[in-house]
This record gives sequence, structure tokens and C-alpha cells, in this order.
Amino acid sequence: MKKRILILGVLLALIAILAMPMAAFASNTGTQNASTFAGTITIVGKTAASTAAVSTITFPAGLPDAIISNPSSDATGTGENTPQVVGSSSEPVVQLYNTSAGTLNVWLDITSWTGGAVVAENYKLVPTTTITVAAVDSVLSSDGTANTVDTTVSMDTLTYKALYLKATLGATAGLSGTSTLTILGES
Amino acid sequence: MSKKRFIRLVSIVLLAGLLLALPSAALATSVDRMALPNLEGRAGETIQAQITLGGTEAEERSGYWYTLYKQVDGDDDRMDITSWITIEPKDYTIKEGQSITFSISIKIPESAAPGLWGATTEEAGQSGHSGERRTYLIFKDTPTGGNVYSGLLIPVSVKVLGETSPPPTQTQLLPPSLTEQPGTQSPVLKYIKNNIIVVVMGVIIIILLILLLVRMTARRTG
Repeated sequence: MKKRILILGVLLALIAILAMPMAAFASNTGTQNASTFAGTITIVGKTAASTAAVSTITFPAGLPDAIISNPSSDATGTGENTPQVVGSSSEPVVQLYNTSAGTLNVWLDITSWTGGAVVAENYKLVPTTTITVAAVDSVLSSDGTANTVDTTVSMDTLTYKALYLKATLGATAGLSGTSTLTILGES
Repeated sequence: MSKKRFIRLVSIVLLAGLLLALPSAALATSVDRMALPNLEGRAGETIQAQITLGGTEAEERSGYWYTLYKQVDGDDDRMDITSWITIEPKDYTIKEGQSITFSISIKIPESAAPGLWGATTEEAGQSGHSGERRTYLIFKDTPTGGNVYSGLLIPVSVKVLGETSPPPTQTQLLPPSLTEQPGTQSPVLKYIKNNIIVVVMGVIIIILLILLLVRMTARRTG
């Protein structure tokens, strides 16, 4: 019995040591002061509990006036960067993850699309458990120009949300352009 | 405890431990102030403050600061104070382990009347008072070369003092107290919350050790 209790104790101590770095990182303290720093909402891949970083989202080419609902990200890892799917078995383009120690409200901000390729952009921000996303219909930019939107969606600490995007292309063929998307958190 | 039960217990502890110990959080830039509320100064004065970003991601991130006025119907001219604010340096690159301190200057115009500017109430800096905020300082960054940014909105408000008001205290310009952070908690509570797994494991280990000592003492005396 004594030996078994010892084994359990050692095991738990080992797990505590293993868990230590995660406990520190989870509150975004890193090497900073643990009690005063707060993190942002990060953009990660689309699989459950993903940690794959995302730096770009790309909409595939389409015909003039087309609505593009299958963008993908550059997250690396199995299943992380497959195209977005809208419908009865929907899959987001990316997920948002709240690394802050407190609840944050989500704001989205885009810069104007260059080149006139995109004339409107929409979004949908839903719980990751949502299976059916029939329409991506919340307005991010109604005319392809810069806009900031308070989604009124809040995220508890260390939780995920699924983000869907949709772009409406312009009427002129042969154009391409870029825009930056920003995920902002507000306490 | 039978051998079978012991093996089952060890397996459960191992599985739970592995789940808890899995690396999970994708990291992002962190900040030491979530709000800059009720900064005090007189018309014509410049308020100085500091804010620090901490890098927590191995990959270098590039970003910048800017201001935002959230326009709401019925706002008067006291709500938009974005033109009062400058931050230096404006652009930054940051990576894991780095911290960068930025200087914020808020120049109150000579013509500013006494009272609150940049928010509708003095409570606007507190968590959950988003509707009362109007002027924000924002930082955002992305892995170098990316087009998807993440950042935070930091509400700013200024109390312009009248001729007879006391001068602003130095403490308001110092790094914030915990009450400005999301969720007002003492440092001990905050530590426990942030390190709950380690704390729980520690408590269990202490209980096991006490149990072991009791059994050893009982065996010796028996």
C-alpha cells in the first residue's frame, strides 16, 4: 500500500510538472508578469482544439459577380486548411481562440479590398458545435471598403468560435486584390 | 486497495494527466493594460502614460497602433478624442520573450471644457461597460507577411479638470491596478485560477503524503 501511494504521488508530481508550462501559457503570461498581462483573440486552424496559427485566408478565383463561400487558410496540419463548407455539414474557414484570462467581445475589422475584385464581404461567427450554417449573412463590408463591426458575440476565456466568410466578386473579369482582416477583442 | 483497483486508478490519473498536460493554447501578443480610463489633466496639458506589449509567440509578429472613435447616434463632441492621442513608436515587431513599452501622449486642447471626454461615464473602463466607451486605442499584429491580424481595443477617457480641481495624482499614470483588468481578483486568486491544475495536483500530493505518514506511524506504533 505504501509503495502504491508513493507511485501515485510521484505520478501526480510528474503530471503537475508537465502541466506547469501550459498553465502559465494559458493565461498568456509567458515570461511576463503573470498578474497583469492579458492576451488577444488568436486565429487558428479549423480542427477541434486547434493550435495551428493562421496568417492568411485566401478566396479562390471565381466568375464575375460570383459569390465565393469556400475560402481556406494557410494553417498547417491535417484538416486544418481545407476549404470552408456551408450547409448541413458546415466547416468554418478558421476558428477564433480567446487567449485572454477574461471574457472578450469580438470585433471584426477589414481594410478596403484593393483592385476592385471584391465588392462585398460577409461573415458568420458561431459556436464550434454548430453543424448547420445555412447562410453567411452578417455584413462585414457592404461595398468592399474598410469597415469595423462589433459582432456582439462574446468569448469566454480559453474558448473557441467558428468563423465563416463569404466574398462577392465584382462584375469585371481579370481582377485580383487583397484586404486584411483583423480580429479585435474588447473586455 | 486491490491491485486491480490500483492499476485502474493509475490509468485514470495518467489519462487525465495527459489530457491536461497536452499543449493547447495558440499564443498571441499580450498587453499590460486593458483600459486607460479617467486620465486626469487640465486644458492645454499633455498627459503621459505607458503601455507594454509582451510577445508570447515564437514566430515574429508585426503590427501597429491606431485610434478608433465608435460613433453612436446622439454623441456630442466630447466623445471623439482620437485627435488628442499619439503613441510612440507606432509600428512594432515582437516575438516570444520580448516586451516593448510604448509612450502614450494625450494632449488636451486649450479649449477643452472641464468634464469627462472620450466616454459617457467614468465606469466605462470597467469590464462589461462597452456601451459607454467611444474612443479606443488599438494594437494589432500578424505573423510577418500575413493578412489576418489579431489585437485588442483599449478604451481611453480623459477627465479634464477645472481651475479649482486638484492636480492629477502621479499614481494614475503608473501601471494599472488589478481593478483595470478583466475580472477583478486578488493576485493570489488570480494565480490559483491561472494554475488550477498545478494547485489541485499539489493538494492531492499533500493528502497522499499525509495518508502515507499516518499509515507509517500506525504501523510503527502497532
